[in-house]
Amino acid sequence: MPDLGNWDWKSKEKMIADTAEWKARFEDVWEPYVSPDGEKIASIVKIGEGEFNVCVNGETWEEPYEKLWYSRFSPDGRLTVLASKDMEWTMAVDGKAWENSYEYIWDTKFSADGKVIAATVKQDDVYGIAVDEKTWECSKELQSIASYVISPDGKTVAAIAQTVPLGQADLEGFLKGTWSVVVNGKPWQNNFVDLYGLTISNDGKKIAAEYRAAICDYGIVVNGAPWETTAGCTWEPVFHPNNNDVVTAPVRQGGRWFLATNGTFVWDKGFTNILYQTYSPDGERIAATVATSFAKWTVAVDGQPWRTKFGECVLQPYFNPDGTKVAAIAKDRGFWFLVVDGTVLGDGAYYDNIWPPVFSPDGDKVICKVEKHGKYAIAVNGKIWGSKYEALWDPVISPDGTKVLIRGIEDKKYYRRIVPLASM
Amino acid sequence: MKPTIAKREPVVDDAMDQTEAKLRPEQIQKVINEVIDKETGGRLWTYVNTCIHCGLCAEACQWYLSNDRDVSYAPVTKIKDTIWVMLKNKGAVDAAFIKRCAEIAYTECNLCRRCGMYCPFGIDIAYMLLVVRRICAKLDMVPLYLQDTVHSHAATMNQMWVKPDEWIDTLQWQEEEGQGYVPSARLPLEKEGAEIMYSVIGPEPKFLAQLLGNITAIMKVAGLDWTMPATAGWDNSNMAMYSGDFEVMARVERLHHETAQRLKVKKIVMGECGHAFRGAEYDGPTWMGWMKPPIPIVHAISFYYDLIKSGRIKIAKKAEGPITVQDPCNVIRNGGLGDKLRYIMNAVCAEFVDVTPNKRHNYCCNEGGGVINC
Amino acid sequence: MYELVRGPLAWAAFIIFIAGSLYRIIYMLAGCKKEKIVFPHMSLKHSLASLVHWVIPFNNQYMKQRPAFTIVTFAFHICLVVTPIFLLAHIILWDESWNISWWSMSDTIADYMTIIVIAGCIFFLYRRLTDPVVKNVTDASDYLLLAITALPFITGFIAYHQWFDYKTMLIIHILAGEIMLIAIPFTRLSHMLFFVFTRAYFGSEQGHVKHSKDW
Ligand code: SF4
Ligand code: SF4
Repeated sequence: MPDLGNWDWKSKEKMIADTAEWKARFEDVWEPYVSPDGEKIASIVKIGEGEFNVCVNGETWEEPYEKLWYSRFSPDGRLTVLASKDMEWTMAVDGKAWENSYEYIWDTKFSADGKVIAATVKQDDVYGIAVDEKTWECSKELQSIASYVISPDGKTVAAIAQTVPLGQADLEGFLKGTWSVVVNGKPWQNNFVDLYGLTISNDGKKIAAEYRAAICDYGIVVNGAPWETTAGCTWEPVFHPNNNDVVTAPVRQGGRWFLATNGTFVWDKGFTNILYQTYSPDGERIAATVATSFAKWTVAVDGQPWRTKFGECVLQPYFNPDGTKVAAIAKDRGFWFLVVDGTVLGDGAYYDNIWPPVFSPDGDKVICKVEKHGKYAIAVNGKIWGSKYEALWDPVISPDGTKVLIRGIEDKKYYRRIVPLASM
Repeated sequence: MKPTIAKREPVVDDAMDQTEAKLRPEQIQKVINEVIDKETGGRLWTYVNTCIHCGLCAEACQWYLSNDRDVSYAPVTKIKDTIWVMLKNKGAVDAAFIKRCAEIAYTECNLCRRCGMYCPFGIDIAYMLLVVRRICAKLDMVPLYLQDTVHSHAATMNQMWVKPDEWIDTLQWQEEEGQGYVPSARLPLEKEGAEIMYSVIGPEPKFLAQLLGNITAIMKVAGLDWTMPATAGWDNSNMAMYSGDFEVMARVERLHHETAQRLKVKKIVMGECGHAFRGAEYDGPTWMGWMKPPIPIVHAISFYYDLIKSGRIKIAKKAEGPITVQDPCNVIRNGGLGDKLRYIMNAVCAEFVDVTPNKRHNYCCNEGGGVINC
Repeated sequence: MYELVRGPLAWAAFIIFIAGSLYRIIYMLAGCKKEKIVFPHMSLKHSLASLVHWVIPFNNQYMKQRPAFTIVTFAFHICLVVTPIFLLAHIILWDESWNISWWSMSDTIADYMTIIVIAGCIFFLYRRLTDPVVKNVTDASDYLLLAITALPFITGFIAYHQWFDYKTMLIIHILAGEIMLIAIPFTRLSHMLFFVFTRAYFGSEQGHVKHSKDW
């Protein structure tokens, strides 16, 4: 995590930029992004035929590019954009392009503190990961990279990569296994038919994924070693937050889904589906989104489903900091609800969209961005609080838990506001 | 009952022939009984115990009709020669039988569901033939090209082995093409919170990239707030649904819908592909435990119907000459979009000539069900 | 003998018919429950819509396409069900045993309706023997079912017209009827029981889930 303590938690309100003025200045202004600390707002802007630039707080970068896309702020507030010039692609960070350019570059990711920037790259038809301008050295010519993860400290990058070329319609070759996990450039010894759901432990030492051995034969593999038993199907595993020896994943057996840790069922009850299993911060409890029956969705905590069920879907559950409460976003009859411990917050308030909630440190308040009738707002315990915005970003709670950073566009002006939590 | 004599050469298919040589009877029996016991229930049982062997479903099937009423193509015959035998023998059948089952279920039926509409009991023969496909899939008895496509879905989450960079690169190139029609057009990638996520089938970036340029222009003219994902999850097609590899099917559909959830869109608008609609709207969500897609899916026919009807896009010039349309089963008989399709045809054609039978009584084009990829 | 078939056997037949039918329906519903998706996919509105289009003759496209078959099958099925229920001789039996009675049809009409059922059976037999699709999926059980269906009507017809020894014929008739009752739940004659359910499900799936129709 970047050091939130250094952010400006004092200024009540700053009007950072007037985006209306940008619209007048440029041919086209793309959707804006804001830095985590809220001090910067940036858009890719079109300045001419085949000429693009980035406008940050009203200033453009020195150099324009032929193409720009995927502008993303790193956690430490640097702006990265994928940029192309003369048919080559590179990463531009705060206006400065990486020295290397590539046939293609995509999927920017960061370490937790934002110091490390990584992306998938392709050069001469060989795939790799570039970490801070340096591409992996890999003993195999990677044929493709499906996805990758980066450890919080940024020291380990692991990818699901195709290590063996495959001819057209070569069923046999495919079933022999053409995919492997490549960690910092070093492929695992084994190949697999397919690999999915790559995940990395918090200390970056262990990597787990789902693998497929044959049709309807799936399993979980950790640092190259598969669990003893396989299942009819699996979903992505997660690591225990503080113990990288513990991996938990949903597995399907006899048409029901079970939650298994290191290959052993930990929830005795099977469900119609289990998704997004999540550890509490101390790793003591697990919550997951489950379907107790067809079209009956809810959250189960340690195997116990909430009594309230939702007809359409439930997104990922979130624990509060001490692990005593669980929040989730649920959908029923076309509307989204914010639910904590089985109760819909805000007297059944419903929204057109809800973004991931954050808990106050004492767990008393749940704050999130919501959308209703085309406008965005901050909802506190499910109820809309304060102004309506044209664009809004997720609220951030200060490290001491007393203030909330709100970043939003009102009347085309981008404001950075600090609100005492107690007043909300 | 004796097996029906099919007066035609057996299918030659390397993958199926190899599997036939490998399959062991115990393995076959185990898989059949597992699928019947664990994956089916009241429906299959009731259908088999209700079918009165009246043969009325025969007239429904385009295979039967277009092969001079060859008995072996009648829907009930296909059930007789597959499921009935499996049930009667409690799964004790040989590899040659399984191969014949695969020929029937994959290459002599399109799962078009017309016969269900002609059976007085509404017995869903297509469902039973999908159960047969499921059994065949679990036994690796799948036609080579279909299995290869399923492998593509499994490995890349798209139908055509399109690699992640090729996908994005194609979109960026087609954005320029779209700007050829409408200079201010844009193909917004990964725009969270857009109204619409537009999703396509694998063949679009692979063979029909101009369609992406076209939609870029159309969206601009219609003034819609849309986006496309720059990650896997962009492909809405699903041949795994048709091979019977439901785990791969579910994974593909899950990713497709979760991509829409991640992008926080209000709806997914998809291209015209019928089987993709079936997979994304029904079969995928059903396997996942969703009654309907968690983010609603709008098929191209509904989408264009709305655009034309509301005047958001206007037809400058209609296509000349007599033009007809083939109703795709998966969106018409099994999606109810027949009238909207006709509205569009009349709006864009100077002379639209309808077919008979039409709308939900249409004949399957014989390409559905995965017999041919698309 | 008459007493036996008229008394205990009739009892047994009705009990087996009713209990057996219930058992089969419950078994079916339990199987559907296990399947999870069946009931959530059902809708009363679309179930009824489907039934309306399939129990009224010529109310769907396929019936219109095959008028002769539609007329035969409706005439056959209506007569098959209605005749035994509203036949005066049967109602008298109910009255004697249970003291209940209801409207009865004239014997002449019943006679014609019986002929229709028998003619229907002959038509279906002819189809089984000649229509290549039907012939191909026909086995001994199909002929047996036809025989079980036809026999009560043939014997009833003969008994009514007193062509052979009336008493013997009557006993055979009652037995045939009892066999048919018992057969309904446990053979594919159960299509009688399941029709409503299979139609309701397909109608719901086409209407409620797929926003289309099934007629
Ligand atoms: S589903 Fe279509 S192709 Fe298959 S048997 Fe029925 S009518 Fe024929
Ligand atoms: S499926 Fe229906 S139409 Fe076909 S033979 Fe059986 S009962 Fe008759």
